[in-house]
Amino acid sequence: MRFEIQLAGVSGKKKHTVELTRNSSAYDVTIDGHPLPADAVQVSPNTVSVLLGGQSFEIHISRSADGKMKLQCGQHEFSAEVMDPRSWRGRKQGALEVEGRAEIVAPMPGKVVRVLVAAGDAVEAGQGILVVEAMKMQNEIRSPKSGKVERLLAKEGQAVNAGEVLAWVD
Amino acid sequence: MFKKILIANRGEIAVRILRACRELGIQTVAVHSEVDRTSLHVRLADESYPIGAAASRESYLRIDKLMDVANQSGCDALHPGYGFLAENPALPRACADAGITFIGPSAEAMEAMGSKTAGKQLARRAEVPTVPGTSEPIENPEEAQALARGMGYPILLKAIAGGGGKGMRVVPSDAAFASAWRDAASEAFNAFGDSRVFIEKYLVGPRHIEIQILADAHGRCVSLGERECSIQRRHQKVVEEAPSPVITPDLRRKMGEAAVRLGRSGGYVNAGTVEFLVDADLNFYFLEVNTRLQVEHPVTEQVTGLDLVKLQIAIAAGHRLPFAWESITPRGHAMEVRLYAEDPDNNFFPSPGKIISRHAPTGPGIRLDEGIYEGWTVPMDYDPLLSKLIAWGNSREETIARLRRALDEYSITGIRTNVSLFRRILTEPEFLRGEIHTKWLDELLARPRPPAVPPRPGTEEAALIAAALWHSSNSEGSSPGGGESQSAPSRWRLEGRRRQVDRVP
Repeated sequence: MRFEIQLAGVSGKKKHTVELTRNSSAYDVTIDGHPLPADAVQVSPNTVSVLLGGQSFEIHISRSADGKMKLQCGQHEFSAEVMDPRSWRGRKQGALEVEGRAEIVAPMPGKVVRVLVAAGDAVEAGQGILVVEAMKMQNEIRSPKSGKVERLLAKEGQAVNAGEVLAWVD
Repeated sequence: MFKKILIANRGEIAVRILRACRELGIQTVAVHSEVDRTSLHVRLADESYPIGAAASRESYLRIDKLMDVANQSGCDALHPGYGFLAENPALPRACADAGITFIGPSAEAMEAMGSKTAGKQLARRAEVPTVPGTSEPIENPEEAQALARGMGYPILLKAIAGGGGKGMRVVPSDAAFASAWRDAASEAFNAFGDSRVFIEKYLVGPRHIEIQILADAHGRCVSLGERECSIQRRHQKVVEEAPSPVITPDLRRKMGEAAVRLGRSGGYVNAGTVEFLVDADLNFYFLEVNTRLQVEHPVTEQVTGLDLVKLQIAIAAGHRLPFAWESITPRGHAMEVRLYAEDPDNNFFPSPGKIISRHAPTGPGIRLDEGIYEGWTVPMDYDPLLSKLIAWGNSREETIARLRRALDEYSITGIRTNVSLFRRILTEPEFLRGEIHTKWLDELLARPRPPAVPPRPGTEEAALIAAALWHSSNSEGSSPGGGESQSAPSRWRLEGRRRQVDRVP
């Protein structure tokens, strides 16, 4: 199985090709065409143990609100996007969004306390769209791009979940 | 002894209290708001009853509802924990009216010691040193300046009606006095409509050190030693330890005696904490009394070997404190860090949400007091404290090493936590030398961050492999290599097939 993975970490963002081939109980691994002496096991639903030439790594994985994968390895954090050849889902969640229509999503569960713009308003990148309150603190959600507020889905006083779409900017 | 105790709290402290009850063979009754139905304290308690909506003022702050639950479930005592109603004298009064024992001080002792001004007056009467200053406003600037010279600079001018730093001025020297006085008075007048100002000695880089006291109902009051709580972010404690790296046995005895004098003169019964500021010359000054169990009580438990919650219950039940504890000395060293659901990379913004996975540290010298579990959603309605991680060892060095080791083992995904803050604090040379004060952490966070330690070779590759493996096992019906699914077919599916096959035509 072949995966195109965009990995972002402290040393920047880069696209890699990872190939996993099942070989009896383990996998043969190549990264960007180079075979690696890796032994990878999913030890629990969200934890993968990797022995890489004997070096032991433990990676905890979760899905963040924007649909990307979040990987924690000790003190280090990475985010990853898998471009799955079998579905276009991975690509849709990619970076293309900001160029076209941008979705404004709630970064955490909370309550919309103020809506700062109206549908049809022109907004600048970084301009506040609405204010979400969580744990007694107010957080301004800003537009990732300049454009027009195409639709405003959130109302003042409404409770929202993490990842819920609040507005579209085009 | 009590038969059944109502725990009027939630989160880690409710769990802590019900564990003590269980060890004593006492039945526990929990209460929960709408969003706390699945919280750990509800799952672990013998009984639990809903008391209203998520907002605290509609649930955990409702004395009437707590009393209804206590009466209907047949509780003979109530433990308030910390926060919520723990320092509200109306709760012990309501308990007294309902014939339920309140596990804590009397309403009168709470009032006499709990407020800052009342506590300070009591401290003066009990000859406990307070920060030098005038408790009354001074009208005449010349008179005020003469007093300031007598106290020695730097001094602090504070508005009587003050709050939020308004009408407050630090005066470094006599030459700066007149203009600072004018500024403080006019700022106070503009902000509060009251220009009156009083003077206090300004302590440079003070430490926050507190004394744990225990008093029984038979006149015995003892000190269990100090806790150093100088590591604070915006006046909120985040790391606590016992003993303090600077306290000598002689100073411990003096501070303990002062705290006990204060407790006695306030008629205090049960566990309480007397907070002090300690200056660079190790002079100590009374700050305030907390008339309840403290968040950081585990560090005292680890160095004394005592269970403070059980002792609170025993005292409330009328038991006597054994005499030998009066000479208690700390053994070894203990340190606690407070893990919060907040994002240190985003100005410590709260990060509620679902805990996807969690691995808790164990091993020698590690204690974890928490009210969370994997799969639980941290509600956004309350304090974001998740866990208190406590380490102890023979020395401060061993304790810090254990805490760092435990932090490396601790992983929580799905929400952000402030773990990285502690990794940084626990490697700062000043912290390791014990050279800390109440502004130290705010100053540290204002400095640029040290460059991130690069990951060891292979980390990125391991992350890529993990991402690929996790992705393939989380996308439907496939495993890498196109092989068969490893998991056995679902029992439901087999049952469905059997019915199809066995169907009578």
